Amino acid sequence: MPAFDLVAPGTSDEAIAELRASDPGEVAVVAGGTDLLFDLDDGRITPRKVVSLRRLPWRTLDWNGPTLTVGSTLPLRELENDPELRRRIPGLYAAVRAVGSVALRHQATLGGNLGRSAPASDLVPMLLALDAEVDLVGPKGERRLSVDRFVIGSRRTALAAGELIRSVRIPEARPSAYLLQRVRPFHDISHMAVAVAFSPTDARWRVAVAGFPPRPLRFPEAEEALGGSTPGAADIARAAEALATRAPIVADKRASEEYRRQLVRPLLARAIAATRIGDR
Amino acid sequence: MTPSEIQLRVNGRPSRIDSVPTDERLLDTLRWRLGLKGTKEGCRTGMCGACTVLRDGRGTLSCLLLTHEADGASITTIEGIGSDPVGRRVLDAFDAAGALQCGYCTPGFVMALTGLLREGGRSTPVDEMLEDLGGNLCRCTGYATIVRAARSAREEGA
Ligand SMILES: Cc1cc2nc3c(=O)[nH]c(=O)nc-3n(C[C@H](O)[C@H](O)[C@H](O)COP(=O)(O)OP(=O)(O)OC[C@H]3O[C@@H](n4cnc5c(N)ncnc54)[C@H](O)[C@@H]3O)c2cc1C
Ligand code: FES
Ligand code: FES
Repeated sequence: MPAFDLVAPGTSDEAIAELRASDPGEVAVVAGGTDLLFDLDDGRITPRKVVSLRRLPWRTLDWNGPTLTVGSTLPLRELENDPELRRRIPGLYAAVRAVGSVALRHQATLGGNLGRSAPASDLVPMLLALDAEVDLVGPKGERRLSVDRFVIGSRRTALAAGELIRSVRIPEARPSAYLLQRVRPFHDISHMAVAVAFSPTDARWRVAVAGFPPRPLRFPEAEEALGGSTPGAADIARAAEALATRAPIVADKRASEEYRRQLVRPLLARAIAATRIGDR
Repeated sequence: MTPSEIQLRVNGRPSRIDSVPTDERLLDTLRWRLGLKGTKEGCRTGMCGACTVLRDGRGTLSCLLLTHEADGASITTIEGIGSDPVGRRVLDAFDAAGALQCGYCTPGFVMALTGLLREGGRSTPVDEMLEDLGGNLCRCTGYATIVRAARSAREEGA
């Protein structure tokens, strides 16, 4: 790893100025570093300057009615330890706990997970099912983008040069669940994962799947098959069938397409069963 | 420009460290600059937990932390954990349970468990505490005694 300058600005204006002062190919951003250090070690990136976000005032968590806003640099363990999260957005709680180990989560951040945008991210599928949005700051000001539009593929996002993720906004706490399949239950990479959430506002389900390239995605055909708040066994079977036969699931070095297509049926059925809507 | 001096409090003692390269990991600073070789390098990729230290009281993987990113932090390693009451309890529980074979993973387990007990203590259900130890691997597979030590350290924290 060639040496680089490391700067830790205290305000977002300074951070953006640091990013703008360098050629985009020569500057990198570090939050927890749990993904970035591998890209540095591999030589995948060779920045002359690394901008650390550690001094920015973005380690925040705010509930406002049904809306949760999470600062991009809040360590995931602090999100997990929020007393409301487990009860109000159980799917996000489960997804956060699926990321690495406790020690990793004391370092890793939500902003970093979105910035890395891995196909097997455990957080992106849940954020998709929650219709989450990212608030970005950059040289041209602020903008808000859905996570669906932000995430493009592995290490590819809609971030423009000089832009940073400031926070992630979850518009509505929803009954939700997150289930995955791995070789080992903890501290491993998910081969296949299903995130589901039910919106009390429009009484519709959201279903997202992840684990395979190029990126986690929603699958509206399964959402429609589930219908309203209490899908019956036949509805769940139709949704599972749609996913297993028509979702754009592919193979990669971790698992075959066929294996993943088989997994998605029980994962969906169990995720729906695990979602508690009212007293259902 | 990159500041060349870093200030850390290591096992309660303030230390100033000069000219640390920006790409140096805390694991290497502890072992090779400060001579604290109790902290082990297992995988260097965040997968095994052998390098776990406490940063401001919380378990952290020192192999995945740039030393400059820890500037100003308070670090506790296995060499200093005996002065912490929870750490003492964990050491005693490992001792009583005979929870080590080759011992390579032990410092990491002790630090991780101390961090967990300080964070949640007995408010964390025992199954969850054991799940939360899942980031530490024992290559000798001595898990039965490690789990016994973890359970008893948690019980004694009543
Ligand atoms: C052992 C191990 C196990 C893991 N297990 C899992 C797992 O089970 N599930 C999972 O989903 N992930 C897992 N990961 C991946 C990783 O820990 C997560 O993606 C984590 O959330 C990344 O956060 P970070 O703060 O460390 O990111 P960093 O490494 O700091 O950054 C990652 C990328 O995002 C960019 N970035 C960071 N913050 C911002 C921001 N605010 N604005 C713009 N760009 C930004 C960086 O420039 C970089 O490109 C694992 C990693 C390791 C090492
Ligand atoms: S050496 Fe750090 S986790 Fe293995
Ligand atoms: S005792 Fe040998 S690795 Fe755990």
